[in-house]
Amino acid sequence: MREALWAELLKVRRSRLPALTAAAFTLATGVCGLFMFILADPGRARTLGMLGDKAQLTGASADWPGYLALLAQAVAVGGLLIYGMTAVWLFGREFSDRTAKDLLALPTSRTAVVAAKFTALAGWSLLLALQVIALGLLIGALLGLPGASVPVLAAGAGRILLVAALTCALTTPFALAASAGRGYLAAVGTLFAALFAAQVIAALGYGASFPWSVPGLLASIAGPGQDAPGPVGYLLVAVVGGAGTLATAIWWQRADHTR
Amino acid sequence: MSTDVRDAHRGGAVSAVRTTTLTKRYGDVVAVDDVTLSVEPGQIYALLGLNGAGKTTLIRMLLGMIAPTGGAAAVLGAHVSGGDRSAWPRVGYLVEAPAAYPELTVRENLKIVARLRRLPSGTVDDVVDRLALRPYTDRRARALSMGNLQRLALAKALIHTPDLLILDEPVNGLDPAGVVEIRTLLAELAREHGVTVFLSSHLLAEVARLATRIGIIHRGRLLQELDAAGLEAHLRRWLTVSTRDDAAARAVLAAAGFTPQREGPITLTDTRAIERPDEVAALLVEAGCPPVRLLVEEEDLETYFLRVVGAGDA
Repeated sequence: MREALWAELLKVRRSRLPALTAAAFTLATGVCGLFMFILADPGRARTLGMLGDKAQLTGASADWPGYLALLAQAVAVGGLLIYGMTAVWLFGREFSDRTAKDLLALPTSRTAVVAAKFTALAGWSLLLALQVIALGLLIGALLGLPGASVPVLAAGAGRILLVAALTCALTTPFALAASAGRGYLAAVGTLFAALFAAQVIAALGYGASFPWSVPGLLASIAGPGQDAPGPVGYLLVAVVGGAGTLATAIWWQRADHTR
Repeated sequence: MSTDVRDAHRGGAVSAVRTTTLTKRYGDVVAVDDVTLSVEPGQIYALLGLNGAGKTTLIRMLLGMIAPTGGAAAVLGAHVSGGDRSAWPRVGYLVEAPAAYPELTVRENLKIVARLRRLPSGTVDDVVDRLALRPYTDRRARALSMGNLQRLALAKALIHTPDLLILDEPVNGLDPAGVVEIRTLLAELAREHGVTVFLSSHLLAEVARLATRIGIIHRGRLLQELDAAGLEAHLRRWLTVSTRDDAAARAVLAAAGFTPQREGPITLTDTRAIERPDEVAALLVEAGCPPVRLLVEEEDLETYFLRVVGAGDA
């Protein structure tokens, strides 16, 4: 798989994907910092009009636990979109650029190619989550947020990483959709359907039983009244992640490659 | 592939490509229908057919990209299936339109193939020189002309100096000089290095110049296989005669045992007439209707191909 991973990393490096996804998470981290800045001074928030009201609607408190929870929510929602688009790009581009056929009859197996793509996806997702944590810590320190302690910061960072890992696992079906749909369109449709369903089902209170809602619940996105996801929720995420990976590998191995 | 199989292939005991009643159906549509063929090592075998004849589907089945509905295929002695990769280190291929990662340079595209084929790094420079891609090595693939994109695709197929090349329409998009260059390269690979070439094309003249054996495929069926060297023997020939009194000339020729066509200009398909047109001329002169035009004509490749395809339709 080493050769396939080298090839995937070269393709990723030469694409706009790293810059665009890093910029998106930088923006998300910055917006979370802006909410903290507004929440830290309610009088200043009122003078900002609608933006101030929306900042209040998040229900966050202007301290380190509140900021780290907000960042976890950003990773849960933004991550599904950004990690999902990364998965769609990694697999869909081979069909869009008609390069898939050049990967099918080589000494390197198709399974290794698929594994390399998922490894690139996981690696880049991890780096993006680490970027959120590092940039979040910097912005929080600059804002002088109260409530900093090693356990609070470690727990907040750990939750962001766990949310990122769960979210990344949930994008594997989009890789299958990009492969079976032989391009971006079907996969992007699946991605938006999952994103929409995750929000609605979580709001209805059934998020613990819907895998794509689980990272949001872990990040307390549905509000403090919602229960944290239980073992069933985590199990469902693991099943979706595993099944998506396996089904993608089987599809590449056995499907008729006509494009 | 095992060493034994490899040695057997090099010794000529194993066909480079062999299909047995290979069939692919998509519902009611039969894309490839019961094709049995064999390509021997060192041959340049051209699969000739119209667009949609089943050439690409057949090639994809040879490369394990499409699973056959029936029959089997073997490449360099190895049974083709999605999971068996034993033949692929010795097979180079180009399927349909050339493709490359647009944001990567020519060199980077080739480096990816070299890595996936586990080749030493020097192979990229070698193939760049062989395919005259040196001026474009640092150019992104998206900026290449169609012809140079085709060269890049061929470079990817040739980078590991394969024993078997499977090429789908290899000269598509190339200018006339490029066509000659690739034809020369493929002929040289076959002649001097014993490389087997299995290619598909709809360009009859090109196929006739390059191939050593030709298979004509139409609506998924392999209609005919013939040696390119013997192609001329399959082409129809006839003698066309013009006189100032064609009706009288027809009568003279018929009386002499020839069978002139009844309609249009006088044409004779009798072997005697084609091989000895001077006898026909002498006969007509003696009968008082000398020929003003006497010409042995031969069917061109396009006409021959359409005749074979038409017979297949019938």
